[in-house]
Amino acid sequence: MIPELGRAAVLLGLAACSVGAVTGMWAGKTGREDVWRWTRWMALAFMISIAVATGLMEYALITHDYSVKYVAEVGSNETPLAFTIVSLWSSLDGSILLWALILAIWAAVFAVKLKDSHPEHAPWALGSILLVGVFFTFLVSGIANPFERVPSPLDNGPGPNPLLQNHILMIVHPPTLYLGYVGMTVPFGMGCAALLSGRMPTSWARAMRRWMLVPWACLTVGIILGGWWSYEVLGWGGYWAWDPVENASFMPWLTATAFIHSSMVMERREHLKGWTITLVMATFLLTLLGTFMTRSGVFNSVHSFTQSPIGPVFLGYLGVMLVVSVLLLAARVDTLSPPTAKLEGPWSRDMAFLGNNLLFAAFTFTVLLGTVYPLLNEVMTDVQISVGEPYFNRMSVPICLGILFLMGVGPALPWGRATFSTLVSRLAVPSGLAVAIAIGCVATGLREWVAILTFALSGFAGAVTLRELTEPGRQRASKLGEPLLSALMQTWRTGHRRAGGYVVHFGVVMIAVAIAASSVYRSETEMTIREGKTKSFMGYDITYTGTERLDEPHRWSRVARFDIDKDGENLGQAEPRLNHYKKMNQSIGTPTVMSGLDEDLYLSLVQVDPEGKMASLSVVVEPLVIWLWAGGGVMLLGCVIAGWPTRRRREDAA
Amino acid sequence: MNWRVLIAGAVVTVPLVSLLAAGFGRDPKLRSNALEGRDAPSFSLRTIDGEPFSLADAKGSPVVVNFWSTWCQPCKIEHPVLMDAAEAYGPAGVHFVAVIYQDDVSKVRAYLNRAGSHWPTLEDPGGRTAIAYGVAGVPETFFIDKDGVIVRKVSGPVSQPIMVTTLEEML
Repeated sequence: MIPELGRAAVLLGLAACSVGAVTGMWAGKTGREDVWRWTRWMALAFMISIAVATGLMEYALITHDYSVKYVAEVGSNETPLAFTIVSLWSSLDGSILLWALILAIWAAVFAVKLKDSHPEHAPWALGSILLVGVFFTFLVSGIANPFERVPSPLDNGPGPNPLLQNHILMIVHPPTLYLGYVGMTVPFGMGCAALLSGRMPTSWARAMRRWMLVPWACLTVGIILGGWWSYEVLGWGGYWAWDPVENASFMPWLTATAFIHSSMVMERREHLKGWTITLVMATFLLTLLGTFMTRSGVFNSVHSFTQSPIGPVFLGYLGVMLVVSVLLLAARVDTLSPPTAKLEGPWSRDMAFLGNNLLFAAFTFTVLLGTVYPLLNEVMTDVQISVGEPYFNRMSVPICLGILFLMGVGPALPWGRATFSTLVSRLAVPSGLAVAIAIGCVATGLREWVAILTFALSGFAGAVTLRELTEPGRQRASKLGEPLLSALMQTWRTGHRRAGGYVVHFGVVMIAVAIAASSVYRSETEMTIREGKTKSFMGYDITYTGTERLDEPHRWSRVARFDIDKDGENLGQAEPRLNHYKKMNQSIGTPTVMSGLDEDLYLSLVQVDPEGKMASLSVVVEPLVIWLWAGGGVMLLGCVIAGWPTRRRREDAA
Repeated sequence: MNWRVLIAGAVVTVPLVSLLAAGFGRDPKLRSNALEGRDAPSFSLRTIDGEPFSLADAKGSPVVVNFWSTWCQPCKIEHPVLMDAAEAYGPAGVHFVAVIYQDDVSKVRAYLNRAGSHWPTLEDPGGRTAIAYGVAGVPETFFIDKDGVIVRKVSGPVSQPIMVTTLEEML
């Protein structure tokens, strides 16, 4: 029964979404309130239908209903419940269903939130969002139908991909990433609305920015969680490998970040409207490109789903959306009101934002080129090659340093033209700090210029950020005689958007330092230890105490135990393991990571002899890795502060 | 209509979609014939353990030269094929040599400790040997016969059948 019910729910969703897309456009064109109301109802019906379909799929997974094709592909009686639930996104068809669900939720939230506001734009926007929903629901109803009935169902299945059931982060990483990815459809719809209506008032620009901020925060967290998952699971002690699918999530993040900055120029100076809308559209199109990369089988990646017939259909859709976006931009961008003020330069915040946008655009292009170059080379010369870390690192390091520099310069500069004395007064201390850090690094024996420059520029950007974050509070305290802390809190409360932005910058600084330190000063070795013996590496004494076999319904594991001491102090026991998944005939390691504020000790089991007398392991010591994850948390905190609803926003909405 | 936007959009859209469309159905193990039939460029390099290795010393035996790196996923896919081939054909007199392409020796050493190797792995300072062989990306494998002539170049991971067929032809 589930296959038929699920399919019916998806078809209902498709119908609701299609009707809503048409009525949304109609309401936008005519301004009719009754048609707009229908559009909103259709968005809710879309959401309810797809939620029911997803609920049915989860029910089928949990009850091991192997008459449902998707359950037969990824289900297994032995898989633990948590991983059975999340196997919804462990394979192609289920992940598209999740995509449709998240899009439906975004559309419904948008319909409810903008019920009574922005009547000129909201219907166009919701119509555009639902139009995207039509495509994804169409996929779920046809070519990627997870509800197909299996004619002669078996009584067990293979279970999900072992890599996806090896760590708890798999439960949160994909949905968070999807929330960000799919959420980019909303600002895209809003950009379409601005173009279709030919107007881009400040209130709409502000709303667009806010609707971008939430998916941007989700994408940020999703990417960092992905890095964390890779670090905790893949066993090589790294968190980023410039894999095509990693790049696919990074590119829209870059253009979305550029948008968040350029939208400030648009809001403040009525400038860069066309460019800002282009960024919104590019962000959405890059999410489609990323989805295509993961699902087409054209790109080779650890993240890829297997080859499927969905590829050509998806490429067709990507092509159509590209053409529609370009035509819409070309036809309507000149109808947006021209700028009211000139961008001042060269020493102004306007120009710093412009520079930052150019760097983000260059970064996106660099990553795109490196990602598609192997394919380009193969098409042109019939030779398949791999563009790996050296290309990406060589190209991205100068761009990242440039962005870090502008992250310090931009906020220090005023809008409009800055005088030389302003420049000196605002940049003298941060520049001095940067020089002091560089000298300190060299004096302590560091010689790697990339790391030194990163630390120095991070100090520079961090000092400017701290100054900008506290300056209004300090001024208020001295003017009104308030205690500093309450003055700071007051200014952060009233200027929470600004404060949140600077908190995000702090997170970026933490991440920059962590990446530089952990990649440049990483040490690794391989060692084989006899039972009861100790070997040392980078100050750690590693004693092999024995091995044990653990049996679980879905896998058996070889757990090796090591006592870890540093400077005579026992840090505890490390238990890296090798898991053997019975259904997949595949062994996957689970490393042990002992994190400290200064460095991580990363142990990955390579081999244990059959009697358990000798264990070979890979040992990595990486400094400051924990600050990368913490930086992600700080960025999320900044987003929450910046996006916190305020009275002015509610007035805006009204 | 803003023609500049239209043209810029077309410049990005048309090649990108065409390229992605061309990616469907391509055989990832296609090969290039550019260097086949020519004398293999000579090289004298040191292994990661500091031992000298010269191609000239191997003359008279078939040699398989594999350019690779640890950051290259296809290289890791290829590794077991090389291991099997070296185990099977090494005793028959085939020399296997790996040349590191744009990578750190420490990473290479760590990977080989984990994955194993039956051949000398050479450092290529400045990538001079890779340049001499016209390596555009990794992995690339050159099959050199007893007379020092390149009989086959495979770009991308070498499959088991191609490896076996080529080695059988060379012996």
